[in-house]
Amino acid sequence: MSTIVEAECLTKRFGDLTAIDSIGFSLEAGKIYGLLGRNGSGKTTLLRLLTAQLFVTGGTLLVFGEQPYENRRVLSQICFMKENQTYPKRWRVGDVLAMAASFFPRWDADYASVLSKDFQLPLKQKMRTLSRGALSAVGIVVGLASRAPLTIFDEPLGLDVVARSLFYERLLADYVEHPRTILVSTHLIDEVSRLLEHVLVLDQGRLIIDEEAEALRSRAFTVTGSASQVATFTEGLTQIGGEQFGSLVSATLLGNADTGERRQAAALGLELTPVSLQQLIIHLTSTASHRKAREIV
Amino acid sequence: MNAVRTVVKMHTRDTLIWSGILWGLSLQFLATLIVVLMIRFFGGTTTFYPGGLIAICAIMFVVGIVTLNDTFPVALGWSCRRTDYFLGTTVMAVAVSAVAAVLLLLCSRLEIVTGGWGVELHYFHLPYLNDGSLIEQLYIYFVLLVNPYFLGFVIGSIYRRFGRAGTLIFLLIVFLLMSLFSFVWTYLRWWGALFHWFSQFTAFELALGLLPVTAFYLLVSYLPLRRAVV
Repeated sequence: MSTIVEAECLTKRFGDLTAIDSIGFSLEAGKIYGLLGRNGSGKTTLLRLLTAQLFVTGGTLLVFGEQPYENRRVLSQICFMKENQTYPKRWRVGDVLAMAASFFPRWDADYASVLSKDFQLPLKQKMRTLSRGALSAVGIVVGLASRAPLTIFDEPLGLDVVARSLFYERLLADYVEHPRTILVSTHLIDEVSRLLEHVLVLDQGRLIIDEEAEALRSRAFTVTGSASQVATFTEGLTQIGGEQFGSLVSATLLGNADTGERRQAAALGLELTPVSLQQLIIHLTSTASHRKAREIV
Repeated sequence: MNAVRTVVKMHTRDTLIWSGILWGLSLQFLATLIVVLMIRFFGGTTTFYPGGLIAICAIMFVVGIVTLNDTFPVALGWSCRRTDYFLGTTVMAVAVSAVAAVLLLLCSRLEIVTGGWGVELHYFHLPYLNDGSLIEQLYIYFVLLVNPYFLGFVIGSIYRRFGRAGTLIFLLIVFLLMSLFSFVWTYLRWWGALFHWFSQFTAFELALGLLPVTAFYLLVSYLPLRRAVV
């Protein structure tokens, strides 16, 4: 599988603020990546660096094997749909779709037309009068129909729940038919988790997780039961989070529960459950667990 | 070339900005004509030189600022190179200026044929400005359109690169330099000599002199745009 993005010691500073702090990662062709993290963690900054909308402060960044800045060969293969994209004041939805056909060389007009109907885009309505949800839908239609080898969706989830579900469905279906690299940046982790093959997690500008989604899910599990039994079970294990619900306690533990641990849990009357990606990332990015998150990367 | 053509196409999507140049001029001309007709109706006999062409220069200047702010974010957001945006916008501005210059020349000929629209209104055809051949007049109109456009584009470009504060500082420096220049010129009593020097040239020759100035605007606008972000 070929590598389409390679970053080494990538850094972006805005004055005293370090938005991206010396990170290194790579993206391979034909995979769906999730760029996850809390608001302000540096997700959008990283995406703007990838698309040469911002300038790198330090380190190296290669996209399709070349520097992206002012590079037509690289940029013509990228479609970056960001939530706060602004459009010319008098453009209507139809203008956006017509112009996208000119900007993106692999544009599929028929597919754009189908998606426009699916998402009920008001083609004659002016962009500046659209709701947040409709704006997101326009971005999704452009992103999917662009069929760009590197398609990036930055927080595309201003949609209602029905439209979001439609987006996931269309994204997966189109990805199967036209494999390409898709990078979805969001803080709504649980919703997109089933789409993702690989997860990158940013926290305060640092890359704290860069791992296959399946491997990541098996990195932790939750044990639930009475406080004393849970305390017995967790002895000697690395706990990265915990909650109490009345007399019940749950503890999130690093590692994949082996047969011995499963037997011990059953004997103690404890329930073992897989941890969701969102839960895991919340645990890993919370301040107290930060050090532990670094340990597993 | 395709990318440059795409940028030109993007500009043609928003026809209001560009056709606004002609709409603005047409409306101002009609308003002036109505006023002159009323003056004639009430017995006025003066020949009128309202200097309305200044308006189209001002409109081009404003369009130069507005286009960049309006279309640059979407172009860059959609993976367009800054250089392609710059080239495409330059092509569009030059094409619109050329078309508008032809229309202005036609209007000036019509003005002569109709005796100043029947009321001795000299709106498009002015002494000194229209003294040369038709080609020279066409060129003068063209430069009067394209030069203020790129002056506006310089300001728009500085705004995109350095933001509001940077633009204010830039304008303040320009204002201070112009004030200093004006003060020194007044102190040395050189204004008369300066105007005398200018008066030895025809309008066409002066318009030729504006060409390197326009090229300078292009360069000055391109450099900050290369480092602009969205």
